[in-house]
Amino acid sequence: MTAAQRGGIAASAVLAAVGVAALLGGLGYGVTVEGGEIGPGFLPAMAGGLVAVFAVLDLVGRLRRRSDRPTQAELILDTASRPEDGVVLGDPLDPGAPSTSTQSIHSPLLADDDADGVDILGRTQRQRNRMLAVVLGLVVATLVMVQVVGFLLAFVLLLFVVAVFVERRRVLPSALVALAAGAVTYAVFVALLSVPLPQGLLGLI
Amino acid sequence: MIDNLVLGFSTAFTPENLLWCFIGVLLGTVIGLMPGLGSTTGVAILIPLTLTLEPVTALIMLAGIYYGAQYGGTITSVLISTPGEAASVVTTLDGYQMAKNGKAGSALAISAIGSFVAAIISLALLMWLAPPLADLALNFGPVQNLAIMILGLVIVVSFAGGSLSRGLMMAAAGLLISTVGVATGFSDARFTFGSINLLSGIPFIEVMIGLFAVGEVLHQIRRGADAPIRTRFRDMVISRGELKRSAGPILRGSGIGFVLGILPGAGSTLASFMAYGIEKRVSPRKAMFGKGAIEGVAAPESANNAAANANFVPTLALGIPGGGTTAVLLGAFTVYGLQPGPRLFETQPTLIWGLLVSFFIGNVMLLVLNLPLAPVFAQMLRIPYGYLYPIILLTSFVGAYSVSNNMFSVVLVLIFGVVGWVMKELDLPMAPLVLGLVLGPLFEKALVQTSAIGQGSFLVLLQSPISVGILLFAVLLMVGPKLAARFAVRRSPRGAAAVDPDAAEAREHARDEAGR
Repeated sequence: MTAAQRGGIAASAVLAAVGVAALLGGLGYGVTVEGGEIGPGFLPAMAGGLVAVFAVLDLVGRLRRRSDRPTQAELILDTASRPEDGVVLGDPLDPGAPSTSTQSIHSPLLADDDADGVDILGRTQRQRNRMLAVVLGLVVATLVMVQVVGFLLAFVLLLFVVAVFVERRRVLPSALVALAAGAVTYAVFVALLSVPLPQGLLGLI
Repeated sequence: MIDNLVLGFSTAFTPENLLWCFIGVLLGTVIGLMPGLGSTTGVAILIPLTLTLEPVTALIMLAGIYYGAQYGGTITSVLISTPGEAASVVTTLDGYQMAKNGKAGSALAISAIGSFVAAIISLALLMWLAPPLADLALNFGPVQNLAIMILGLVIVVSFAGGSLSRGLMMAAAGLLISTVGVATGFSDARFTFGSINLLSGIPFIEVMIGLFAVGEVLHQIRRGADAPIRTRFRDMVISRGELKRSAGPILRGSGIGFVLGILPGAGSTLASFMAYGIEKRVSPRKAMFGKGAIEGVAAPESANNAAANANFVPTLALGIPGGGTTAVLLGAFTVYGLQPGPRLFETQPTLIWGLLVSFFIGNVMLLVLNLPLAPVFAQMLRIPYGYLYPIILLTSFVGAYSVSNNMFSVVLVLIFGVVGWVMKELDLPMAPLVLGLVLGPLFEKALVQTSAIGQGSFLVLLQSPISVGILLFAVLLMVGPKLAARFAVRRSPRGAAAVDPDAAEAREHARDEAGR
């Protein structure tokens, strides 16, 4: 089982739980009011119930490893390109099963996990996963920093750090880009739209 | 009609509106051509900037981004075979081949011309069709409105691609998110968990910025950098023969695009694929398709522009958006305190007709911008994504903060950014979620009114012929494609396994960008 499949199952399970919780919450708010008309709990309960039902359906589907139906556009492209194509390429994995061919094409995550896809900058999938985690961590750190150095400085710092340490860009251009972006943001949001961006404890900008 | 047009022109031709229209289409072109920045993302990020403008000016600019992006998306498709917009995916097939054959100029010129012709035709049809449809919808009571909203949700779900249950799940999730806070008509606070910030509900703009901008950035980081820019080209010359060959495809593409675009939810991506497929069938130069046929660029490019305009028919007349970006635009209406729906034609004629006429002006601007300046825009592609995405993050968070001057918005954007990223990775469709969120409050109001009319029973839905018809149509849409697919598979059992490599590559893109 790949990471994508595990993720899909986990997401469906979480959504099913959220749906059930919302259903119960909705029932608590009162589905009907006196006179039989619907009350504040009706839509939450209905939406929660639907989320739960479809999440369970999706979960069952994922557990049975059913592949996706192709999208409308894909169906059309298929029918459009089929008749005059001299060469018919079968699915290398399973020539007999029409439905799996689409899955092997358009599930980027699965493909990435299988073939250790190296991008044009020579970074492997594992490295890119780590980059994603680092960037997310940096964004959270930036939101904390906002309280200290202020909104603008914290984000200019984020730009610089991401460009230099995550993306391995050169220091001077990165600094210039970060400062320019900060200046434009200041001009548009603070000077023009007079948005009171938090200045933090330092209160510089 | 003439009165309305005069009103529209007098609204759209003020210096301020002309300026913002220009800014909109210019930004739209740039946003459309950046891989990883789609029109939905662009509109979502820029809504906060427009909050201080008049609603009509703001909507003129935001709509300009939407149709401007249709032009911009082409440039990337042709030059680097990487569509900037999902609707330009199919253009990569022949457009990129033309570029490789040294005909990038012709490809870009014909798509600008085709887009323009399609835009003008579809705009005329839009102005002609939307008002009577709105008139019709004005007679609808809560019962019929409820049926219309159910139809809208079903349509968006059934055209979002992927599995039906996932689409319905996301639509229900959108409705659920919309119930947070104190609902109109009730006094109970729902799902606020004691937070004051949540009392007024989960705000729309923050969710959009999170899902579409931050989620997309996170997705792109993990996906890795795209192919480098390879093509250089000289000038925008197009021969008379090429123009002549393209006339038919442009007209057919416009027609197909308009018809498909008018269906709420179908959107311009489907239209461009369909136009390409049909053109490939009817063209006398079938063999050239996929090897750089100009018809293969003209038809889908005309279709996606026609569909983009046609999308506004259901959006404006019924209050049901045609696709992801129009869903966000519809949300923008509510941000400016306008209730979307047929009443707008009566209560806000200046806004509606000013907006429609601005499409005309915007498309003229785009033609002028795109014919000679496409090579200049192409230079934007040299900006490395390593610089671009931190800037997108900065813009997203500052924009979210500026909506209500509250750090809570910023945290919400981050949360929904992660949600959007997870949805992209797991292939969960976004459009149904957005529509559920936008329609939620209106849906609940219609539910309450309908249950009041039926004294607690929803059987009144089945007593009005109009609502029965609408609901039947909804059921047909849900079940129909399944039956059709089954029929198609039976007819040619090898069908789905037949994959031509170009189409497969294009599909991978389509799949990837579908969520926008």
